[in-house]
Amino acid sequence: MTETGATAAPTTGEPAPSRLTARELTLAYEDRTVVDGLDLDVPQGAVTVVVGPNACGKSTLLRALGRLLRPRRGAVFLDGADLARIPTKQIARSLGLLPQTPVAPEAITVADLVARGRQPHQHWWQQWSAEDERAVTEAMERTDVAQLAARAVDELSGGQRQRVWIAMALAQETDLLLLDEPTTYLDIAHQVEVLDLVRQLNHERGRTVVAVLHDLNQAARYADHLVAMRAGRVVAEGPPGEVVTAELVREVFGLEAVVIPDPVTGSPLVVPGRPWAGAEVSGV
Amino acid sequence: MNAPGTREAVAAPAPRPAAGHRPAGYAVLGADRASRVSFLLHRRAAVVAVLLAAALAAVCLAYLCVGEDFVAPSDVLDVILGRPSSQELVVGTLRLPRMAVGLLVGAAFGVAGGLIQTVARNPLASPDIIGVTQGAGALTVGAMTFGVTSYTVLPYLSVAGGLLAAGLVYVFAWRGGLHATRFVLIGIGFAVALRSVIQLFLTKGDYLVAQQAQVWMTGSLNGRGWAEAAPLGWALLALLPAVLWAVRAQRTVSMDDDTATALGVRLGRTRLGLVALGVVLASMATGAAGPVDFVALLAPQIARRLTRTAQIPLFSSALLGAAIVVGGDLLARKLFAPTELPVGVLTAAVGAPYLIWLIIRGHRTRSRTAGRGRAAGTRSRAAGGEA
Repeated sequence: MTETGATAAPTTGEPAPSRLTARELTLAYEDRTVVDGLDLDVPQGAVTVVVGPNACGKSTLLRALGRLLRPRRGAVFLDGADLARIPTKQIARSLGLLPQTPVAPEAITVADLVARGRQPHQHWWQQWSAEDERAVTEAMERTDVAQLAARAVDELSGGQRQRVWIAMALAQETDLLLLDEPTTYLDIAHQVEVLDLVRQLNHERGRTVVAVLHDLNQAARYADHLVAMRAGRVVAEGPPGEVVTAELVREVFGLEAVVIPDPVTGSPLVVPGRPWAGAEVSGV
Repeated sequence: MNAPGTREAVAAPAPRPAAGHRPAGYAVLGADRASRVSFLLHRRAAVVAVLLAAALAAVCLAYLCVGEDFVAPSDVLDVILGRPSSQELVVGTLRLPRMAVGLLVGAAFGVAGGLIQTVARNPLASPDIIGVTQGAGALTVGAMTFGVTSYTVLPYLSVAGGLLAAGLVYVFAWRGGLHATRFVLIGIGFAVALRSVIQLFLTKGDYLVAQQAQVWMTGSLNGRGWAEAAPLGWALLALLPAVLWAVRAQRTVSMDDDTATALGVRLGRTRLGLVALGVVLASMATGAAGPVDFVALLAPQIARRLTRTAQIPLFSSALLGAAIVVGGDLLARKLFAPTELPVGVLTAAVGAPYLIWLIIRGHRTRSRTAGRGRAAGTRSRAAGGEA
């Protein structure tokens, strides 16, 4: 089973052209500039994970990639077209996004919520097709929420609810999927479950995923392409094995750390160094 | 029964789709592979709507029968069907037109309340809370004190006043997006301010006009008839396609802003459309009968509790609104007979305790869910600052 780590490396032989790119992107809230002049090419068919300390602009970047935030300057391009100029429904057929804390309508059932993911494929005269039914069923089975179909979303546990939201995003059946901290509020088992699912989607369906993650080790473990941000700029990007070094951790997080190979996957594992400098450190 | 031949004959013509998942509780009309047209129908909502329609019919029949003199249902039917009847004057000329106004006003308030509550994501929001009816009232009462008493002009002024007030609330609540809570709070502020404007007009105006305006302000069907019912009826008919659009659009705005946008909803436009429709309906109803308090607040919430849908069922809400106004007017006429209460007094007497209950309950659920991440309705844009 330790071999699985090796297959987790990028599957693409030669890099396919990027469908989602950002050029000279400047993002701001009111008068506070969060991201300044950023360029990014999201590698096609790969899992890209954006990491960085709090307030580095990683979620803001994701919001702009998903046209939830209008750039102050520069632009995000989908298949070469400025995102701001494409009708939002058309974008929704190629690009899905799951916000950090989505809010479900009161008293909605699981199946109903997942079905909402079909919205961009529907019209007022075509509210439910065989295609919708197939996509919803598949998304629910894939995320293992089929048995919850008739339950109210309000009643579910945090882990279940997150899986339902992911099912909704999957039912949208977009080639590109943006996830904003999909593991927040989840315990470690559910975190791993969600990330495994993301990996699986990428491997089996060739979906391009961009996720913002808090945990550097999870990022290194699940990413094909890692983007490290600090203060609104990209500090380093590339395969985690090349990017994650003690120097980078120091530069991005301001943390002294030792980077060792993950005993299971071989990906870089960051171990914070000298946590209680001066106090007794038992035999490592 | 177990003969293989029979079985095949049954199974062959209609191959069942693999146990797929549909939105729970919905029936799908016309969704086979060939069909390009299909509709989702919430089963329980459909049943509730049929039952409400039956209840409304019963209330209407009672309304036409009961009054100063009791008229037998058979006579009422004769009048409705246009057969010659001795009760033509009482039923056909006095009660029927007044009932028609009540029906239309109630339905309009029911839909208007549902739309505004949907956009505001708040069961407390309704046209009479966020300043729409006050806007309509201020302009109407103002016009009355300046000598405009024509009942053909006043309803239009009322619509203009409601739209104007709602437009101002919308503009003031806008800050790069519509924040639901700010929308409601600014609306409440406007409602209070406009109420004092109305008071100013009432105290400044002529005594007789003030009295007339006062009656109008409580919301009454007294003296209303075809002159009010006909334009309102035509307007509602003209707005029916918009209401059908709203039924579908409502689904999409009930999510948080980011999720809705991610699903390809043009949120700003959709919301504006829903609010505008709600405001027009509420203002027209106010123009016809004055602000009949709390109908717009009550009907959508009761309807939703009956249908248990994730969004407010507009048709049930319309039927319930109509039943409340017609039933309320029936009680208002009979309860203290021969003194006739304005129906608005009655709906307020029922609605106010409900509002208080809603606020208390809202507090409880909010404190209960406080630990579960952010409260519903807050824009995640605020959280974006953290990232």
